[in-house]
Amino acid sequence: MSVALKPVGWNRNKLVYDAVLIIGAAVYILAFLNLAPMLSEGAAKVDAPIQRMRAFGSLAFLMLTLVLAIGPLARLDTRFLPLLYNRRHFGVITALVATTHAVAVLDWYYAFSPTPQLLALFTANTSFDRIAGFPFEILGVAALLVLAVLAATSHDFWLSFLTPPVWKALHMSVYGAYGAVVLHVALGPMAGGRDPVLSALVAASVATLATLHLVTGRRERAADAAASPPAAEDGWIDVGDVSEIAEARAIVGAAPGGERIAVFRTKDRLVAISNVCSHQNGPIGEGKVVRGFITCPWHGYQYRPEDGCSPPPFRERIHRYPLRLNGSRVEVATTPVPLGTRLESFRIPGATAPASPVPRTDPPGPRAAAPGPADDKVAS
Amino acid sequence: MSLKPADPGFFVGYFKKVPPAVRTFSLALAAALVAALGGAALALAVSPEHPGSGAYVNDLGDGSLTGILETSPYPLLRVPAADGRPARAVMLAGPSKIGVGQAAAGLDGATVDAGGVFVRRGDLDMLLVGGPVGLRASTAGMSLPAPAGPEPLGRWRITGEICDGKCAAGAMKPGTGLAHKACANLCITGGVPPVFVTTAPVEGAGFLLLADADGGPLPARHLHRTGERIAVEGVVERRDDLLILKVEVVLP
Repeated sequence: MSVALKPVGWNRNKLVYDAVLIIGAAVYILAFLNLAPMLSEGAAKVDAPIQRMRAFGSLAFLMLTLVLAIGPLARLDTRFLPLLYNRRHFGVITALVATTHAVAVLDWYYAFSPTPQLLALFTANTSFDRIAGFPFEILGVAALLVLAVLAATSHDFWLSFLTPPVWKALHMSVYGAYGAVVLHVALGPMAGGRDPVLSALVAASVATLATLHLVTGRRERAADAAASPPAAEDGWIDVGDVSEIAEARAIVGAAPGGERIAVFRTKDRLVAISNVCSHQNGPIGEGKVVRGFITCPWHGYQYRPEDGCSPPPFRERIHRYPLRLNGSRVEVATTPVPLGTRLESFRIPGATAPASPVPRTDPPGPRAAAPGPADDKVAS
Repeated sequence: MSLKPADPGFFVGYFKKVPPAVRTFSLALAAALVAALGGAALALAVSPEHPGSGAYVNDLGDGSLTGILETSPYPLLRVPAADGRPARAVMLAGPSKIGVGQAAAGLDGATVDAGGVFVRRGDLDMLLVGGPVGLRASTAGMSLPAPAGPEPLGRWRITGEICDGKCAAGAMKPGTGLAHKACANLCITGGVPPVFVTTAPVEGAGFLLLADADGGPLPARHLHRTGERIAVEGVVERRDDLLILKVEVVLP
């Protein structure tokens, strides 16, 4: 988490994740450069350096599309959550592939000239006032710079150093990079309609990402807008029935301002805690209590139920909220206690057995989760 | 419709134990990803337009061509008819993205020897001067007939693409199009003769050497239009087998 940082914290799952990415990239490059020329005379006739720049460029575009799809896919279907955990490595590999593409371009289109390559990159085409013929390479350079910055700052050291809001804002620039890449391709290799599959790929990428983000955003906005009903007393909300909460899981309510509050059940006690992880704003209410710690589903950041603090040596803290039962209804105060304040969890009167799992429902209703395996082991 | 499946079990990447449902789904996803990437690679690799059949051709070996050098609009070697082959005007360029303007300086109108290799696609070819001979005043002491004067072919409006004659002839495959625009500009500013590759034959030719309206080199302002399909107007003339288009107007 925020201390004892290592350059890369490897574990078996990360190794498998990275291995799949590298194998996928290798299959792509081998198929593009070695198999396609055996199947197509046209592909065989293309200069090898141009074929290389096409291979690495199109792979970088595909990988960037996949990186950007992981977030909304994980929000829409929790089966994609394992992709989210190591998404930074996906991004770093994408930046490396894009760099290989750029080097291939420089070493061919901008080589063999008295003008130095980098100078030629910015001076050979200056038709900035035209759409057809616009120096699309500059857009690729801009995107590559963004990807490089994001790759360089992907480690949690930078998250801690820059603070999560700044880091998150910085890394949202990946969408700018994607836009620049789309224009880079549209104004360059796609222009003139000489490559129908590339045109179809770019259109499919833009349509897929737009749809995924719109659907996800609509669901999130609906959840934000649908405040939980107020309780009888001012400053409290009714987040649901205690029977809806499975052992070690949570339901999520929303205060009138849209602030989401997760209510976890752990060993017949209830804990109300902010739904927003201090790491990357992950939805803690969709997490689980693992070995006594409330655990975010995105990257596994953990918090103690009694005070919302990460266990030492970590220093993350999130808000806790007062909670009470009105019959079987769970009511939560909309004003949190100060960060780090110890607040005894609420014991459920007469409860001795875990609640039955309740299927999840779509927003704007409360969300509950079924229990997972009870024997997860935390490796960190 | 909800996209949320039944809860497959809680899993975070640092857990040692992977729930069976998560493992199964992740493995299926990994296999699908690798297969999709392989398929996408093949589709994308074979999709682009065929780059043409241009290639380097070493017709001369270590030998040379002898002819009269003309330097306007770009260095041309006027080779007289011989052995049943009609007279021809051979465009000259250097071995990289440079022309032979420096080597040709002072040789305008002289009999010269030119060695090197050709790059050729269809009727478009260019001699890339180099090798042991390079470009030099002829040492053979031959007296060649004066080349025929330019034959005016009238004013034309032609559709096609401005590119450098070297890449268009096959030095790069593909050597045309907007993706190649910066490279074409580097070549043309370096002195490589620019050509207009036409969408339909003009007087039997698929390309024309480009010149300014006054017969000089192509003005730099036209570099803004390289690589795109455009229409140009100007006067066409023939020198031996080579058509030259003196550009007056590039249509918007």
